[in-house]
Amino acid sequence: MGQASVIGMTPTRREYDRSMTTAAQAGRGAAALGGEVARGRLGGDDVVMAAVLVIEDDDRIRVSLVMALEDEGYAARGAGTAEAGLAAQRAEPADAVLVDLMLPGIDGFECIRQLRREGEVPIVVVSARGDTHDVVAALEAGADDYVVKPVRVKELSARLRAVRRRVRAESPPMSVLLVGDLEIRPEAGEVLLKGQPVPVTRTEFRLLCELADHPGRVLSRAQLLERVWDYSFGDERIVDVHVGRLRQKVEDDPGSPQRLVTVRGMGYKLQR
Amino acid sequence: MRRPGLRSRVAGGFAAGALLLAASIAVLSYELTRGSLLAERERTATRTTYFDATVVQAGLASEDADVVEVLRSLDSGAARMPVVYRDGTWFARTADAGVTDAIPVALQQLVNGGRPGVQRVRIGSGPALIFGIPLGTSSAFYEIHSLAELERTLRVLALVLALVAAGTTCAGAGLGWYATRHVLHPLTTVADAARGIAAGDLSARLDAARDPELERLTTSFNHMVDQLSQRLERDRRFAADVSHELRSPLQTLAAAASVLDRRREHLDPRTATAAGLLVAEVNRFSSLVADLLELARGDQPLETNPVDVTALARQACRARGLDEALVEECDHTVPTWHIDPRRFERVLGNLLDNAIRHGGGPVAVRLGDAPGIHYLEVDDDGPGITPQDRDTIFDRFVRGRGASARGDSDGTGLGLALVAQHVTAHSGHVFVTDRPGGGARFRVEIPERK
Repeated sequence: MGQASVIGMTPTRREYDRSMTTAAQAGRGAAALGGEVARGRLGGDDVVMAAVLVIEDDDRIRVSLVMALEDEGYAARGAGTAEAGLAAQRAEPADAVLVDLMLPGIDGFECIRQLRREGEVPIVVVSARGDTHDVVAALEAGADDYVVKPVRVKELSARLRAVRRRVRAESPPMSVLLVGDLEIRPEAGEVLLKGQPVPVTRTEFRLLCELADHPGRVLSRAQLLERVWDYSFGDERIVDVHVGRLRQKVEDDPGSPQRLVTVRGMGYKLQR
Repeated sequence: MRRPGLRSRVAGGFAAGALLLAASIAVLSYELTRGSLLAERERTATRTTYFDATVVQAGLASEDADVVEVLRSLDSGAARMPVVYRDGTWFARTADAGVTDAIPVALQQLVNGGRPGVQRVRIGSGPALIFGIPLGTSSAFYEIHSLAELERTLRVLALVLALVAAGTTCAGAGLGWYATRHVLHPLTTVADAARGIAAGDLSARLDAARDPELERLTTSFNHMVDQLSQRLERDRRFAADVSHELRSPLQTLAAAASVLDRRREHLDPRTATAAGLLVAEVNRFSSLVADLLELARGDQPLETNPVDVTALARQACRARGLDEALVEECDHTVPTWHIDPRRFERVLGNLLDNAIRHGGGPVAVRLGDAPGIHYLEVDDDGPGITPQDRDTIFDRFVRGRGASARGDSDGTGLGLALVAQHVTAHSGHVFVTDRPGGGARFRVEIPERK
């Protein structure tokens, strides 16, 4: 398999995006206008900028990614090592973090684990490594999503948007969801199990909301991938790893789940 | 004709050996038994005949003896038939002309010459022994002993021996078959291990042989697999290194190109054109590297899952801005196929992209089931593929004639090669035909699996 298609959009999808870009060249002005709007922060603070921290040891990649993300409307900062990145995140927490896996000193996996221990910031791995075990290890360490280099900036921006969402944009404002002894408060972004708050990441929260939205009904991995991660097509292991992480938090015995159950060959469901 | 397998040949050899042995023993036993039985019978018959001859001679001693009465007085039973030749006349207990005819002339001459004799003959009821004993000058006593019973016994013996020989032959074949199973068992293990390795399980090794004869095989096999896995590991690491070394600078290029692209209209026309070319080529280069790496890793094992192909096809169309209604289900399609979803998505996607790029856009995407296979057809509205291009179109870096004529160098030239590779990985095949009404039809056939 091409590494590029392991998690991120497949190259065909990227080709499609590219052809769209080519098609949009006629309307160059409009695109430029978008750029101007994105850079509106220079003029004033009417646009709330999302801060993104890029932890990447390759100077050229880091500098170019920071520039490109700024163009996309993010307040991007770079860090050359995991240590520097963790320090920057502690000093001034970003809204999302991009992490490379191969870093000098503390490696990307450990960096993700530390970030996860210290907060619920959405983490997207941007790595040249797309092997199965790397993907799964990074997700298990706590990453929310995974893209393989080279990733198009528009794609990266879409990933960042997806992982930063608390609930699905098109879903109606939900009141409190009660499923068994689980209580989910979409507005507050809280999950309570038997009345006790459970710390979950945003992605885990969105996943739980989707499942709680259809209690007792099976949602396929593809459906969850589309609704939670905005993938029209992607790696279904990302769903499995997140379900596994969620089970650690909401199941009494994660080895034999009672609430978040697997329906063999079909997907997952939240038991009523 | 195909040469029979080693096992059949060994079993055949065992069978032939057993047959030879059993047949020799059977023939020998038969001959020995027959000889001794015949000799025994002959001895008995001789004794009986002399006894009868004495009785008859005594009976004939009186002047007016009735020869027939004398013969009848013999307690001869059915198995022997006494005959007296007296003064040119034959006497027997019954009026059976055939009996006297059975007595050979040579024996008669011998007996007439005054010497007793015996001869083996075949009479109407089977083989027989004829004894001739001279009784004085003008008389002779003959006795015919039927050997029919002995012959029956010998026939039964021959049948039993033949059956035993046949049984021994079968047992020999069975023994050969059984023995080869043990001899060939290590080869089966080797074959299983080799199959495992071919399927990608490089941890397969043979257990250390308990048999000194097999130790060399085991050692060299394991050594070969070690070498192979080391080489594969080197190749894998090389591919990983290359991909990393290519992907990292491409990431910089992609991000920098995006920054440039956003500012194109602020640049002077020459620089803007150059920037545009740069951006386009960076994008193409990214796709090319992704396709090449995918092609290089094409021998990875499949990760099959039950997949709703119709949903997958609709998604692929949606992602390309195509109408979902293009996707048709035909021939009571089972919507769930056991396939590798990522690879099949690439097959679908690349065929759709090919139709968009070279075929004037897809006009139908058909999913269906034929006996034993699943099929996918993508029809386009382009110029079609000429028969001479139909095989080469799935080769690497082959672009449609139409594409080069239009100066369209957008594709990587690997799309259809990847389609072929992914389809082959599913043990299926892909080919292109004319669509009725113009255009090309790409058809993918994948064997059904449970």
